[in-house]
Amino acid sequence: MDEPLDTDVTIEAPEHIVFRHRVAGPGRRALAQVIDLCVCYGIVLVVSLTVIIAFAGLAGLKGAFGAVMDASMGIILVVMFAAQWLYSFLWEGLTGRSPGKVALDLRVVMVSGRPIGLGAAALRNVLRAADVLPAGYLVGVAAMALNRRFQRLGDLVAGTMVIVGGRPGRTAPLALSPPAEPFELAVLPPVVPLDVDERVAIELFLRRRATLGPARADELASILMAPLQARFGFRLPDATRTLALLYDRAVNVGRSEGPPSSRGAAGLWPLARPPYARRG
Amino acid sequence: MISAVTESAFTERREQDWTRLDELTRVVTARGIGALGPEQLVDLAPLYRNACADLARARAARYSAPLIEQLQALTAAAHAVVYGPYAHRGQAGLRSSRARRALEAFPRAVRARWRPIALASVLFFVPLVLGAVATLRHPEFALRLVPGGTLQELAEAYAKGFSEGRGIGASTGMAGFYVNNNVGIALRCFALGIFGGVGSAFFLVDNGLSIGAILGYVASQGAGDNILTFVVGHSSLELGAIVLSGGAGMSLGWSVVAPGERTRLASLQAAAREVVVIMFGAAAMLLMAAGIEAYWSSSPLPAAVKRGLGACLLVAVALYMTLVGRGARDPGTSHEATDGRWT
Repeated sequence: MDEPLDTDVTIEAPEHIVFRHRVAGPGRRALAQVIDLCVCYGIVLVVSLTVIIAFAGLAGLKGAFGAVMDASMGIILVVMFAAQWLYSFLWEGLTGRSPGKVALDLRVVMVSGRPIGLGAAALRNVLRAADVLPAGYLVGVAAMALNRRFQRLGDLVAGTMVIVGGRPGRTAPLALSPPAEPFELAVLPPVVPLDVDERVAIELFLRRRATLGPARADELASILMAPLQARFGFRLPDATRTLALLYDRAVNVGRSEGPPSSRGAAGLWPLARPPYARRG
Repeated sequence: MISAVTESAFTERREQDWTRLDELTRVVTARGIGALGPEQLVDLAPLYRNACADLARARAARYSAPLIEQLQALTAAAHAVVYGPYAHRGQAGLRSSRARRALEAFPRAVRARWRPIALASVLFFVPLVLGAVATLRHPEFALRLVPGGTLQELAEAYAKGFSEGRGIGASTGMAGFYVNNNVGIALRCFALGIFGGVGSAFFLVDNGLSIGAILGYVASQGAGDNILTFVVGHSSLELGAIVLSGGAGMSLGWSVVAPGERTRLASLQAAAREVVVIMFGAAAMLLMAAGIEAYWSSSPLPAAVKRGLGACLLVAVALYMTLVGRGARDPGTSHEATDGRWT
């Protein structure tokens, strides 16, 4: 299969199935980072204030104000340490995503597509210290620009990448409606060989049809129809309907349980060998 | 041979399984593998394999793009669950043996990387000695490295001695400072090694010089005995950890500069997998050192006790690094260890 011109990464599973992951770009990740900083230092602020108030109360009881305040400073410094070095490490190591990444539907995975563990999470988050240099993640962004998976130095060292988790919703397969009329079947060619790009183009158009005005739909359909008309030598007055019929026959021809429009061809169309070689 | 079923018939027939797999995957992603009951657990793998087969079938039959995308997302999510890290959780031996493995892995990783670590100690201790000697000869040398006010404060603090102790409040404050400052320095010292080791080397030389200058300055003001008594308790852990994290950082850098027979990226990742253990170990050592420095080193105990214990700790650290985990090497790391050359 040819490589798509996109920010996708392909991974082959042991089942010989190839997955595609959409890699997250710098903008989205920066936004997640901003959210994380807000959440993290918001927590630090709340904890620090609580500690100070609690310890001030304690100091009021015991009297040794200086010593108690010193101790509260120590605790706040430990919390600051945790915010800087442990927050992302623990979130990502244990769940694969920090709150900011959850908000933007991002997930950290190994480049093999497997979830990351504590070791990889530690490496990619400690190396953050190198990525933020000299200011505002300049080194990290430069590293991201130089590889296909948008990996910053920490990702390169740990062998991780950040992907967009989006799970597309379920879409019903396209069905010809209303079903084909006898006069339509009479003119439809028995075999409609479409190559992959043509099929995808028609499919995209048919799925968008509902959102288009009739004039615009007709205009787009005519553009799509032009080369097909030359090839199959037929066209009904309604270009959209013609495309739907052609698509239906092309996709369903020779398949059992198909609608009547797909039963024109005698016997099985050899689907395994498409008549038009794929491009590329 | 591919299925000759229309897309809607195919979807209708298989949809139930996909929904079920999707549900299980979501449960595990949100709440971990433990959230599944035994029956669900048994179902997970076959459902995943069937979904993989469905995806292959859908691609071969050239069903519409949304269906293939949906199946792809489903199998990708399920793949992450089925091949997740959960398999090792809970069953790979008792908790105690895992802790023990970690305790053995650390010194083993240190020994495997002894050359960069030796270089790191040279880069740290030579400037330290030079800084101390230079400051003892000309106390103004310290002013070039450390702000004068800080030096003055330190000299006065150490001149007072520890007869009164510091009080638990102030000690806790200092413990927090040591954790934040020292562990942060060690982690940064490790991370910046990625730039060909230069960042780590800079941290090592810089810290060595400053610490030497402070030691020298306090000694030149007549409190040399006191500061030695103070640092002897925790220095084996603290300075050792800085050197270890610096050495680990330089290993990272060197693995890029001289990748040997691998690609630079593969060499970097292999080195990182090994030295991450050293980074964790160094951080743990610094946490211990922070505790000792805050509560023990500043206590009013007699100098002889502190020095005796400091010496014992030094010997213990040295023995731990050289002896623990010998013989019981696991095949994975020993292969890596001989591979990571430092020339």
